[in-house]
Amino acid sequence: MSNLMRAEFFKLFHNKTFWVLIVSLTGISALMHNLILTDWWVMTGTPFEAVGLGELNALAVLIVPLFFNLIVSTLAGFYIANEFSQSGVIKNQIITGHKRARIFLAKFAALSFGAFIAAVAIPLATAFALLLLHGMEDILTLSNLAYLGRAYGLFSLQFLCLAAIVLFIAIVTEDSGKTVIFTLLLSGGMFIVEKFVSKPFIVKLYEQTFFYQFSQAFRWELASDEMAKSIFVGLISLAVILLCGMFVFNKKEIK
Amino acid sequence: MTEFVLRTNQLTKKFKQDYALENVNVSIKKGEIYGFIGQNGAGKSTFLRIVTGLAFPTGGAIELFGNHDSSNLTEAQKRMGAIIETPALFPNMTAYENLEVHRLQKGIPGKACIDKTLELVGLQDTGRKKAKNFSLGMKQRLGLAIALLSDPEFLILDEPTNGLDPMGIVELRHLIKKLNREKGLTVLISSHILSELHQLATKFGIIHKGKLLEELTAQELDEKCRQHLRIKVDQASKAAIVLEHELKTADFEVLPDGTIKLYDYLDDVHIVSRTLTKNGLVIEQLSQNGEQLENYFSKLVRGLENEQFNESGIF
Repeated sequence: MSNLMRAEFFKLFHNKTFWVLIVSLTGISALMHNLILTDWWVMTGTPFEAVGLGELNALAVLIVPLFFNLIVSTLAGFYIANEFSQSGVIKNQIITGHKRARIFLAKFAALSFGAFIAAVAIPLATAFALLLLHGMEDILTLSNLAYLGRAYGLFSLQFLCLAAIVLFIAIVTEDSGKTVIFTLLLSGGMFIVEKFVSKPFIVKLYEQTFFYQFSQAFRWELASDEMAKSIFVGLISLAVILLCGMFVFNKKEIK
Repeated sequence: MTEFVLRTNQLTKKFKQDYALENVNVSIKKGEIYGFIGQNGAGKSTFLRIVTGLAFPTGGAIELFGNHDSSNLTEAQKRMGAIIETPALFPNMTAYENLEVHRLQKGIPGKACIDKTLELVGLQDTGRKKAKNFSLGMKQRLGLAIALLSDPEFLILDEPTNGLDPMGIVELRHLIKKLNREKGLTVLISSHILSELHQLATKFGIIHKGKLLEELTAQELDEKCRQHLRIKVDQASKAAIVLEHELKTADFEVLPDGTIKLYDYLDDVHIVSRTLTKNGLVIEQLSQNGEQLENYFSKLVRGLENEQFNESGIF
């Protein structure tokens, strides 16, 4: 397994799409934070503003599912799906004699790491760096840091579920374009359910999914049972999606 | 005891109603170079994809290095290297980086094997050139390097000469022979170019429309394809004495049915005929036989097609 992980990370760090995402997100994120911090751009009604962290409002854009879904699906499309379609290098990996489940898990580890760095770590790191540059680090009080830690901790768990589902889509579709389109359709569908569907059964069902937990993660007040539920939903979803992914990958014929 | 590297038993692959492979029994002994001959679409690649674990059979069994249950089969795959269809490369990586990925995947300690393998396939001077800028022949050689990196005991090559120039084909042939001779590497190589395999393989499997028509050694194939005079006379033993004493040749054999296969005097049939008659023998048949490899293959294929035609009951 460690051999596979090392190989996957080597491939990730040699992947052009990964570096393009890192550079673009660093630029976009730095620009947005700067615009907010210099009051060129005013945002209201964000979860960060509600907890007195209005200076970090730019992060609100980066936690919109459509936005980070685009990052995860782009990476999955050009890093994972291309291995099946364009280069066909997945053949070499299967022939190495590793169990397919382990290959799947190694890919999941590398994809979720890469996507997390691009979609979560870089926006946060640039936010902290710009707060320091603008001399506004005093807003990072202990309670605010605890909020950010709890919120991003829960968000990251749901993010892993998303990465697993996007990996699943990439392996099934074997095509970068289809991976991006299907992931965005999925996320669009969930957005419609969240905003426009009012049937109690569907709403109740939606609230049991990790998609719903993305927005719950950033609530200022989160009771311990709600937090436990969020962790439970995240862990169960992750386990189920990974098991389904491994099952499909095990049965998949490589062309 | 004979050690088999690969054995398949009634291996079958069905796509809906069509058989890509039908009850294929192949056995490859350690140290053999097995040539898998068949037309495009005969089922060669399907067979190789199943053996390498890329596809799954719908029936039958595979035994690889004596292992046949699925987890041991996967483990046994670590002892082989393969190129299936086209070489699978990372286009944005150099030859060295492509091999590094494979080295990490295989868990091979130390990077010395990379330089050694690049040198073996003649790609040591490619430097920072990305694989996407390689010629077809260079890509084929890099694919071969990936397959050879872990020093496999069993090498599977699917149409490895595609895209290689004549010099490249000769080099590849020499390399395979060298690895087979020096390291005892067992090779399964598929091709639709018969002459190419004929110069390399020690055993052949002929496949057509998913069915293995025949498995034979190189010696048996040569024997079947060797030009000879087929002589049928009333007294075979006397004819043998005449050939030995009058025509001074021992290059013949007497078959159990009394037919003589004479490999000598191919251009002097009249001398043979005259000598046999002069010695009081009655010639019932005297014909020149033996065929080119291509003809032999065509005859086998036609035989199967006629058989299928007859089975279908259409006359």
